[in-house]
Amino acid sequence: MRFHIEVVHPERCIGCYSCVYACSRHLFNTVDPSRVAVFVRVNGSLENPFTVIACRFCKNPECALACPKGALQPLPEGGITLIASKCKGCKTFDCIDACMIKALALDENTNLPIICDRCGDCAKYCPHNVFKYEEMK
Amino acid sequence: MMLSKVLYVNLSNKSINVVDRPDLFSKYLGGSGVASKLLLEETKPKMDPFSPEAPIIFTTSCMTGIFPCIVKAVSMFKSPLTKNLGESHAGGHFASALRFAGYAALIIRGASDHPVALEIMDDEVKIRMADSLWGLSPLDVEKVLRKNDKGMQSVISCGRAGENLVYYSNVIVDRYHHFGRLGLGAIFGSKKLKAISVLGRKGIQIDNPIDVKDMYDKINQKVVKSDEMAKYHYLGTSANMLELNELGALPTRNFKESRFEDAKSISGEAMAESMLRRKISCPGCPIACIHLAELRTGFAPEHEKGKKEIFHEEVSVPYNYEPMYALGSNLLIKDRRDLILLIYHCEKLGLDAMMTGTVLAWATEAFEEGRINLDDTEGIKPEWGDAESYIKMIDNIVEMKNKFYVKLAQGVVAASEKYGGKEYAMALGNNGMAGYITGYGCIVGPLVGARHSHLSNSGYSIDQKIINEPIKIESIVDFLIEQEDWLYVFYSLGACYFARRIYSKELIVEALKTLGINKTQEELLNMGKEVFHNLYKFKVREGFELEAQNIPKRIFEVQTPHGKLDFKLIKSMIEYYIKRREKEGISLRPEEKAIKELLK
Ligand code: SF4
Ligand code: SF4
Ligand code: SF4
Repeated sequence: MRFHIEVVHPERCIGCYSCVYACSRHLFNTVDPSRVAVFVRVNGSLENPFTVIACRFCKNPECALACPKGALQPLPEGGITLIASKCKGCKTFDCIDACMIKALALDENTNLPIICDRCGDCAKYCPHNVFKYEEMK
Repeated sequence: MMLSKVLYVNLSNKSINVVDRPDLFSKYLGGSGVASKLLLEETKPKMDPFSPEAPIIFTTSCMTGIFPCIVKAVSMFKSPLTKNLGESHAGGHFASALRFAGYAALIIRGASDHPVALEIMDDEVKIRMADSLWGLSPLDVEKVLRKNDKGMQSVISCGRAGENLVYYSNVIVDRYHHFGRLGLGAIFGSKKLKAISVLGRKGIQIDNPIDVKDMYDKINQKVVKSDEMAKYHYLGTSANMLELNELGALPTRNFKESRFEDAKSISGEAMAESMLRRKISCPGCPIACIHLAELRTGFAPEHEKGKKEIFHEEVSVPYNYEPMYALGSNLLIKDRRDLILLIYHCEKLGLDAMMTGTVLAWATEAFEEGRINLDDTEGIKPEWGDAESYIKMIDNIVEMKNKFYVKLAQGVVAASEKYGGKEYAMALGNNGMAGYITGYGCIVGPLVGARHSHLSNSGYSIDQKIINEPIKIESIVDFLIEQEDWLYVFYSLGACYFARRIYSKELIVEALKTLGINKTQEELLNMGKEVFHNLYKFKVREGFELEAQNIPKRIFEVQTPHGKLDFKLIKSMIEYYIKRREKEGISLRPEEKAIKELLK
């Protein structure tokens, strides 16, 4: 099952990291906020509300355009998929810089960008309905 | 594989090393259990809490970050307040960040001769000069040390109170959480350690992902769907204010009364309606029990050249029941804005709000009785309900303005020993009382509990369960023993007290199994008991004597839901408690004394 997910109420976030932990469990069998495709960011101080970021599934993704190797393939439904063999050895990580909302992180264990695979877990585990999600046909 | 790496940092010779301690972690799992053993290892008998060799121990557990609500870091140290066991637990990002950085525990030894901060980024550990941070509020330290970097970061620090060695100064964790009560802030101060920042980016590898995920889901469903934690999510513990007032168990006017006529105006309900701004969680817990009030304070009037002020400074102040009772009903503060202002003042200075309330309440009464005068207070007249004078007194305590304030900075027992008024110095085992005057459990529980906290064994909760029933000495004591032994299993996992009804014994056994740790319920219970024994070994070694503990007379004068408490009953409970514990093979009195009695 794949889902369309969208951060719709970041202002509701309580910083529980349920989404982040769910994502790292799903993608890597780890609990690790540095290896995820969804981000709960502290803005300078916990005094300030959190920012929640997930991939926007762009129709014309800047990350893919920036990639010098053509390793990020845009998908018809928006967003991208990674062709790991093409990406391997790339040191520019232009894709990561290119994504304006910083939804793309580098996995320092593999040196590959971490791509959201639309599993929907982040949204499902969020207790405060920060996300909207819907199954894709 | 269980993480069991201990990071040792020595502030005297600036050495840093890592030692693997699978022995401790496989036996005690983490948290209070591992810390209890490390404390015995790291301390010499009767050391000065402020001496360089006095250690600070922080532990996480095998479950930290993996399952919901397992979020607490445990600290152990020698408390300057009780001159005995210092044990304090904190939520926030600290335990998770440490664990993600690859450490199961952190031990600070030695002392620096100039202000320093400890910076941990996975394997990179630095002791940095930090003159620039000295004197800053922990709330500012959090801002300046916060990196907007990936991974999980925690910033903890002491405030002016810790720097100046106030015996009940806190270490503030990620702005809204605390290593509170027993003076860890002053231990930081004595070591010239201002702050610790931990950035963890290694994460935790999960070996049986399917089992762990199923277990996570099972626990998480209980946490978010059942009613067990709904209270903490909704009004938070501040809901106690009206509940206890209704019951006639709300400490008021330094425990003289058990109902506060203005309880409504400082209740959780009133706070939620008018001041609650948002809520925040510890990473790994979906409850968000931390309620933040919006405090607006007027900007300098001269700034507007005589015109009406329209600009306000605005801050978020965490509130929950204990500080609300201590600085609220217990001081007859009826304006909720005043209450939040008082809490905020303690937070900025890194002062324990509960003991601060206890001390101020004692001082107000001592002043009324003429035990202290305006010379002692530096011209401030402490008056019930008067937040302004209390704020001035708090500043004087932290700055230790004169002999009187030096005593106040040492806690309510020290102050009453010098100035009198012991009958209403509301502490048990030297630790300020929590906000319950519910019956026998709320007195005997903290008295016998290893860390003299209401969270040691939930004595206040048994009181509320047996209202209208005749008091049975054995059943109350049995409950306290069972609770504390079991809670030490729970605290060895670094679990949050608020999740105690989620994690049944069966569930903990199952959850551990998914992590490859096989322990039966019985083994766990024995472990909990052993942790308690370890801690009492330390306590007795340091001179703690249960029978010699003072109980303030006031306790027996105030109406409780169980009527006025009877000293004889409490004495019998303690005697029975000692008998039961000694049957387990531990001593509750200093060795010399036990031997003397044998020879008699
Ligand atoms: S990673 Fe960024 S640029 Fe790429 S599709 Fe997602 S949001 Fe768009
Ligand atoms: S949909 Fe799945 S992969 Fe994508 S961010 Fe959410 S949890 Fe991670
Ligand atoms: S799960 Fe929801 S509330 Fe929790 S951190 Fe993520 S976005 Fe925020």
